[in-house]
Amino acid sequence: MPATVTSITPRRTSGQGRPPQSASRRPFRDNPRLILAGIGALVAVLVAILAVANRTPRLSPDFLTEFVLYALSAADLTMLVALVFVLARNIVKLVVEGRRARPFARFRAKLVALLLGMTLVPAVLVLAVGSELIRTSVERWFNAPMDEILTSANQIAGDYYHERQMLVSDHAKRIARALASVNLGNPDVRPLRDLLAPDVTLQRVQMVEVYRVGRASGSLPGLEPVVDVAAPALPPGYSRAAADRLAAQALTGSSDTRSIETLGSSGDLLHAAAVIRSKDGRATGVVVATDYLTGDLAVRSRRMTQAFEDYNQLRVLKRPLAGVYLSFFLMVTLLILVGATWMGLYLAKRITRPVQMLAAAAREIGAGHLDQRVEPQSNDEFGSLVEAFNTMAGELATSRRNVERSTIELERKHIETEIRRRYTETILERITTGVVSVDAAGAITTINSAAARLLSLDRAIVGQPARAVFDRADLQPLRALLAGAGRAKTEPAAQDIAIPRQQQELHLAVVATALVGDSGAPEGVVLVLDDVTPLIRAQKVAAWREVARRLAHEIKNPLTPIQLCAERLRRHFAGGPPAAKDLVDECAATIVGEVESLKDLVDEFSQFARMPAPRTVPTDLGQLVAETLALYNGIFTDVGIEQRTAADVPLVRLDAEQIRRVVINLVDNAIEAMERRGQIIVETQLDAPGGVVRVIVADNGPGIPPAEREKLFLPYYSTKRRGSGLGLAIVRRIIAEHGGSIEVGDNMPRGTRFTIELPC
Amino acid sequence: MTNRLKMQPRKHEGTKRLVGLVFAVAFVSLGSVARADGQDLSVMPIARDGQVVVSFELSEGLTEDVRDAIQSGLPTTFSYELELRRSTATWFDRTIAAVTMTATVRFDNLTRRYQMSRTLDGRVEDARPTEDQDAVRRWMTRFEHVPLSTTSALEADGEYYVRVRAHTQPRNTWFFWPWGHDWVLGRAKFTFIP
Repeated sequence: MPATVTSITPRRTSGQGRPPQSASRRPFRDNPRLILAGIGALVAVLVAILAVANRTPRLSPDFLTEFVLYALSAADLTMLVALVFVLARNIVKLVVEGRRARPFARFRAKLVALLLGMTLVPAVLVLAVGSELIRTSVERWFNAPMDEILTSANQIAGDYYHERQMLVSDHAKRIARALASVNLGNPDVRPLRDLLAPDVTLQRVQMVEVYRVGRASGSLPGLEPVVDVAAPALPPGYSRAAADRLAAQALTGSSDTRSIETLGSSGDLLHAAAVIRSKDGRATGVVVATDYLTGDLAVRSRRMTQAFEDYNQLRVLKRPLAGVYLSFFLMVTLLILVGATWMGLYLAKRITRPVQMLAAAAREIGAGHLDQRVEPQSNDEFGSLVEAFNTMAGELATSRRNVERSTIELERKHIETEIRRRYTETILERITTGVVSVDAAGAITTINSAAARLLSLDRAIVGQPARAVFDRADLQPLRALLAGAGRAKTEPAAQDIAIPRQQQELHLAVVATALVGDSGAPEGVVLVLDDVTPLIRAQKVAAWREVARRLAHEIKNPLTPIQLCAERLRRHFAGGPPAAKDLVDECAATIVGEVESLKDLVDEFSQFARMPAPRTVPTDLGQLVAETLALYNGIFTDVGIEQRTAADVPLVRLDAEQIRRVVINLVDNAIEAMERRGQIIVETQLDAPGGVVRVIVADNGPGIPPAEREKLFLPYYSTKRRGSGLGLAIVRRIIAEHGGSIEVGDNMPRGTRFTIELPC
Repeated sequence: MTNRLKMQPRKHEGTKRLVGLVFAVAFVSLGSVARADGQDLSVMPIARDGQVVVSFELSEGLTEDVRDAIQSGLPTTFSYELELRRSTATWFDRTIAAVTMTATVRFDNLTRRYQMSRTLDGRVEDARPTEDQDAVRRWMTRFEHVPLSTTSALEADGEYYVRVRAHTQPRNTWFFWPWGHDWVLGRAKFTFIP
């Protein structure tokens, strides 16, 4: 199945519901072209600021105070607000992200604070020092010597103009008085021209214009030009308009009878008007005298005045000018601060965003989502890091898939091994062969239930040193065998040992096999214990059967001749002397009686030797016991026989006649042992886990000493004064041929207890 | 019929803004914002012959700074914004008519003569030279019968007021808050009775 790869993309802080931005609309901070354009715009602004600052002194005052200062102040305030907004926003974000435990919030704040701090302190210092420098520099523009020089120069120029104006005015008045008696209405103006010519030729004035009061003419109501006399040195291009206006103004009685007409680089014309009055005081005309200031003189005078005015205008505008310079300075400072703040945020985001994405992806991978990937945002070192991360994640995913496959295979093998192990354990637990394993260090690692039962050991010994466990007296042979097997690393060591167990001997066939690893190093020893006690007993019984058969064969044959000979002797001496006859009769009767006893004994031996194999059929054991015990009813009055039958005992395959014989034999023995007085309990039990049924015959007689218990089941052993001593031997044989066992022990509080176990 | 009810000259209060306070420490040594103190703008509206005309005078208008500016040769302009307004209780006052009157003077330090001019809504009304400083002061600060509106725009028995705001150009203002320091306001209410 193909893997589904999911990517982590930059988280947008505004609106998770917004659709993701396409690659072509990357944010500003991730777009190098936009960043370069922004830097270019910033540089252009700085250059423009410098250019404007350089031109500031040449700007018109109104433009300076009504536009430049406003614009700069507005820009400063805007940047200040932007700076405060950015800082406040990031402080709020820092607080919020800190409360939400967002990663890298403090790092971003620290980076911004560091860059801002690194910039703020020198920027503010430079701003403060620069501001003070500007203020003092502006103050130093104006000093007393310069002030005196410019004021004096302006005063000289002004005085010169004023004196020339006053002189022209005096000439005008003088000419007006001279013309008081002249008839200005005379059409012949030559006398009048002759009168005026000396003033021009002597350069008292450069031009004289005479008007007479008459009818309205054009734009000069009431004044008519009469004559004008001009010096040839006058520059061309001047007009009469200024003189005409001044004449009209003088005629109205205005006190302002002077004017200056500027001809540009050609110089200035100084006009002065005077009213011509007749002797009776009536205004008859106006004379306008004009003086000419050459171009150089006028220009130099203008320059002096201009310098004075510029100087004073600078003084007047020094506060706005200083304000403009300070605004420039503040703007640059704020630009630096805003730039530093933005740069801090930009760098912080450039650094933390890929790290955040990597951290998020690492968390996802840590959570098991190995198909998580990080979308590369740049081609720089962070991009390489993201690529390396994605490569690592891919390799991890591949490795994990391989591991998962291997894990599945391992689990399958483990399950198989576990099944096999359980199977082996079950076998070990169920078999009657005891198994004990010892590791190379000598500690017991395994002991199955059969071994624990055979050796009477608790299974809690696992882990204990075998030497200490087998240090028990009855287990000493095992310790020796274990030591020998440890030394002999190749061949198993076998030995039959007999262990005393409840005053009986338990015969075990033990095989100790050394375990050797593939490398040849010893890995321990395993002991295999087989209970051969039934086998030994069977061998003994077989031997005794052979003995019995031979005894019966060898003894029975001569008995009949002996009996016949005794009968023949008794008949032979029947007619003899009484003493001899009595002796012979007595001896013959004894011989015949003993021979009969020997025959009976031989018959029992024969029966023991020829006992047939049991023919087993499913039988109700409880009913069989009940029917057998019923034979004793009313026979032994002082013997109480109680039967306790478990309800859950199933049918058991057995030969009913043989088992009945066993029960009778055991009950008879008990009655004899109690000397026909006591209590007998015959009980049947089911041991379902062990797979056996038990028949227990217990009496409260004197009991059997432990030393004699093993001998009880041997042929020809009897504690009774009569009997062949084959009863319990036959009982054991019957039980053995049924696949069971019989044990004898003490009954509590007194007496003997026979326990028969039959498989069911 | 004229009715001059009450003159309520009011000076516009310069306000220290918070932003200015932020940098106050940095620039405290640079001085404070210049303001023209002692100025008073008296206003007298007259409704006559179908016209609302306004006479007003800015006393102490030619301050030392203004005189320095004029004497330096700077073209100096006094701008007067005249507004005929009617108060409303629930909203901003309604402006019925507005004109802008300017008076400009330029001093020629070479000829020592003042060149004066006046404009009304941008139109040159008058221009003349003078050598008299008193004439300059009157030219710049005293205005008679400036037409503001026709009485046809007024309601009978209506309460109106004329607001005149004056300021000087070029401004001898200071940095960092150049807006609205040097406005001088004058106001006069009147009831129009046809």
